[in-house]
Amino acid sequence: MSSHHTETKEQDYLIESQGYDDHFHEHHHGDKFQMNFLTTYIFSQDHKVIARQFLITGIFWAFIGALMSLVFRIQLGFPDADLIWLKPFLGKWIVVNEAGIGKLEPEFYYALVTMHGTIIVFFVLTAGLSGTFSNLLIPLQIGARDMASPFLNMLSYWFFFLSGAVMFYSLFLSTGPFSGGWVAYPPLSALPQASNGSGSGMTLWLVSLTLFVVSVLLGGINYITTVLNLRTKGMTMWRMPLTIWAFLVTAILALLSFPVLASGFFLLIFDRSLGTSFYLSDIFVNGQILDRIGGSPILFQHLFWFLGHPEVYIIILPAMGLVSEVMAVHARKPIFGYRAMIYSMMAIGFLSFIVWAHHMFMAGVNPFLSNFFVIFTLIIAVPSAVKVFNWIGTLYGGNIRLNTQMLFCIGFVSMFISGGLTGIFLGNSAIDIQQHDTYFVVAHFHIVMGVAAFFGMFAGIYNWFPKMFGRFMNDTLGKIHFWITMIGAYAVFGPMHYLGMAGVPRRYYRFDLFDAFSGFDAMNKFITIAAIITFLAQLVFIVNFFYSMYKGKRVTTQNPWQSNSLEWTTPIDAGHGNWPGKIPTVHRWPYDYGKDEREFVQQHIPLREGEQHSSH
Amino acid sequence: MAGHLSYEEGKKVVVKGLILLGIVTIAEVLVALIGKGYIIPGFHMPVWLMYFFMISMSLYKAYFIVYEFMHMKYEMPGMVKSVLVPTVLLIWALIAFFTEGKTWKEWRAHTKDVAVNISNIPASKHAEHKEMAPVKHVEEAIHGEAAEAIDSTKLNHTEEHKVEVEKH
Amino acid sequence: MADHAAHTHDSHDHAGLWDGAKEPFKASYGKLMMWYFLLSDAFTFAGFLIAYGTLRFSSPSWPVPDFVFSSLPGDIHHKPLIFVTIMTFVLIASSVTMVRAVQEGHRYNKKGVVFWMFLTILGGLAFLGCQAWEWTTLIGKEHMTIHNNPFGSHIENGVYLEGDGHDIKAGDSFVAGSSYMVHKHAGEWAPLKYKTESGDIKEQQLGPKAFGALFFFITGFHGFHVFSGVVFLLIIMINAWSGIYAKRANKYEMVEKIGLYWHFVDLVWVFVFLVFYLL
Repeated sequence: MSSHHTETKEQDYLIESQGYDDHFHEHHHGDKFQMNFLTTYIFSQDHKVIARQFLITGIFWAFIGALMSLVFRIQLGFPDADLIWLKPFLGKWIVVNEAGIGKLEPEFYYALVTMHGTIIVFFVLTAGLSGTFSNLLIPLQIGARDMASPFLNMLSYWFFFLSGAVMFYSLFLSTGPFSGGWVAYPPLSALPQASNGSGSGMTLWLVSLTLFVVSVLLGGINYITTVLNLRTKGMTMWRMPLTIWAFLVTAILALLSFPVLASGFFLLIFDRSLGTSFYLSDIFVNGQILDRIGGSPILFQHLFWFLGHPEVYIIILPAMGLVSEVMAVHARKPIFGYRAMIYSMMAIGFLSFIVWAHHMFMAGVNPFLSNFFVIFTLIIAVPSAVKVFNWIGTLYGGNIRLNTQMLFCIGFVSMFISGGLTGIFLGNSAIDIQQHDTYFVVAHFHIVMGVAAFFGMFAGIYNWFPKMFGRFMNDTLGKIHFWITMIGAYAVFGPMHYLGMAGVPRRYYRFDLFDAFSGFDAMNKFITIAAIITFLAQLVFIVNFFYSMYKGKRVTTQNPWQSNSLEWTTPIDAGHGNWPGKIPTVHRWPYDYGKDEREFVQQHIPLREGEQHSSH
Repeated sequence: MAGHLSYEEGKKVVVKGLILLGIVTIAEVLVALIGKGYIIPGFHMPVWLMYFFMISMSLYKAYFIVYEFMHMKYEMPGMVKSVLVPTVLLIWALIAFFTEGKTWKEWRAHTKDVAVNISNIPASKHAEHKEMAPVKHVEEAIHGEAAEAIDSTKLNHTEEHKVEVEKH
Repeated sequence: MADHAAHTHDSHDHAGLWDGAKEPFKASYGKLMMWYFLLSDAFTFAGFLIAYGTLRFSSPSWPVPDFVFSSLPGDIHHKPLIFVTIMTFVLIASSVTMVRAVQEGHRYNKKGVVFWMFLTILGGLAFLGCQAWEWTTLIGKEHMTIHNNPFGSHIENGVYLEGDGHDIKAGDSFVAGSSYMVHKHAGEWAPLKYKTESGDIKEQQLGPKAFGALFFFITGFHGFHVFSGVVFLLIIMINAWSGIYAKRANKYEMVEKIGLYWHFVDLVWVFVFLVFYLL
């Protein structure tokens, strides 16, 4: 205890003697922004509080999204089961027949699939992942008091909250939420009469996601400006942790792609509400031809996927950044290929804007044009492989601490490889003729951007929980969580590759009635049981999270992981402004682990006499 | 920043901008009108030449507004790049989207041809070739290479499907 | 501990703007945020204009702008593109007055800032007024709406069999590619009959629907930007008048930021003007 005490004192002395004085505390006596309960915990402008708000909202949505997947997985695995026990929760969406057997309403099955996708992609893996960690780590790791505009940052969260509230409300409509797939292709999304969910459900879906775009843009503009303008003295761009680089590239992607989604949405709103025909042509409803000509549904697909593909990287890049950082800290080794990591992230970011039509090979895209999209898509394998080799290179010869966050990092790399390889299959338009719209696709993207991104998020949560709440999460429960999730995820999505190869299509309500697919009943049952077990493991995480928040082991040192980056130079319960006095000055890159016989050297420690900068 | 220009110079730029943008706009409109024979009867310009003039003059106007009025000329090179380089992404978007638009037009025209061909088939033949007739005519009606590629895959699908159905 | 004091040298090793604790672009965070917002907004407009181009490419024919936009106030017709040229001038002029307001801000000339901002607001309002007149004429007199577009072009040569009481008389001949406007009589479309070269009797067809919808949608979205710009300008002009920007001693940066937005609106108009009125 006493050694920790001297360590802390030494650090404070270093910061005070060498730090950078921005005269923050002369202007912010008593912190006028955090006067009462409302401005401290609800409408807070402190990035650390906003990060926690994003995280807890994200966990709430992840829970809802996962429950939905269980319901439709039970339907697929046990299509003949009596679901009357779900009646208290789902009400009229469980239809009871004369024999007293409850069945899931097929329309609601589609609504569940749609909502599961929308919620996990946007609310959990975009807002919950990038929102949480960009907010928490950007100011702390670059040595800033807060975001460039704390007020817009607060608005960013509340637009997200509002967006979530609208979506949540849509779950309780009498016609149900939107049910045409999370990609919202017209005509199902453009004609209110097309299906149950295409009416009010779709209207609320659009309102919700438009608010979400506003939230993302407010956040993104803030993150970029903060990283550029608010770095502390000595924090050059090439001394930033890889997390910050990842958040920067992510924010740029979001800034450029979400507006195009907004354009697509506005045109869709006109088609729905004012009777224009941007996305509609030659449409029959109940044998009647509608007076809607001249548009094309594929136009929406293009606009959607111009966002949609960068969105995939908006999800995975923050996870990559978190994994790189956590891995270096717990392998006690400098990250392998720091610059290669950054250049590959930039390459991935650029390529993500020119490959969007590979989601539409079979939708009727000009096949000649597809050739180019195939080539661009396959090039992404190069920077992705660079990253994988670098992670493995970081682990190689490391002094690895196999704690929960490190396990999740290794799990991430495993998932990213497995999911990435199937991506090479799907990126070929010729192979896509066979594989499109099958469970092969489902398996691919769930592993590579669903599970992998979740693993990155878990690694981040276990690692920075002490910074967020001043306590540790339980490592034993964490390891139980990891192993069940790791095995469970492969058990769920591994067999789906086989189903997809056999041609089993996605988005079907049941398979047992088809001669071609009924042979896979046992496999579907297996997947469902694996999914339930994996879900139960997430409950272990949630219990661990909330228990540790109040009862976990207290953090007693400023730098519990003996990490180099700046967030661990702040007090354990840092207030608004992060550092009580001056901001530390940075003298080195964040990966000086095992340098000159020293286990770790924090970024704010000056070079010794004759010491050279680590070459990177 | 205007700090790079004195106040008097700045005022001159303003006047210059007003005149320049005015002249370019008038020139654009003149190209549109002359090119289509409104001003000199009987004189027309090739469409590509008109488009070339109009697009390059608009790009010049955009350049002037961004560089002079929005002071981009006096900002740090890094900042200029950070704002302008991302717009390069739109070039591939333009190419891809417009190619698509053109493709839809061509395919729609082909679909109409196919429809006409099908309606020309005598009713007796309709009954005979319930499955295959439209496919055959698709093949005949389509001349574009790309379209042929896609439709030949469709053809294969249909044939495979047929074989499967027969097996069952 | 012993070595911390002697080694402050390395922060001087990389003398440069990217060392941190500096603004690498020598621009405040507020200005950067405005620029990046404008960049994202540019992508929104790009999305719309690319959608416009795509639908236009997918359409067999497209109305000719100098035929569509040829009316002037005072019931003047057949003056192609004159009115929209005036609109463009109004917007350019308001952009120029905005530059003047920013320049006066740099000199801390409060009266100058307010005066030039006031002129800018007048320019913005004048532009909106022009747009209102244009829309009223198109919707009210020429019956172009987001659902219907009376402007079409012929795809073959022919001779009219009847007149419309305006410009076309029975017996007038036309060539492929020439424009026409279908009139409405007593609330009903009155397409004219004509005889093609091959002897078929046909009727005028309404033009591609997407033209009207895209026109109102995109110019409307731009007009909304102008409108919100006018509101922001008004607020900032009042603030400037009250003296709060002078107190901040940052060269009226707020005026500069709203100036960037206002020029951006002008910039978008350059492209809207290009694709709707010129090409």
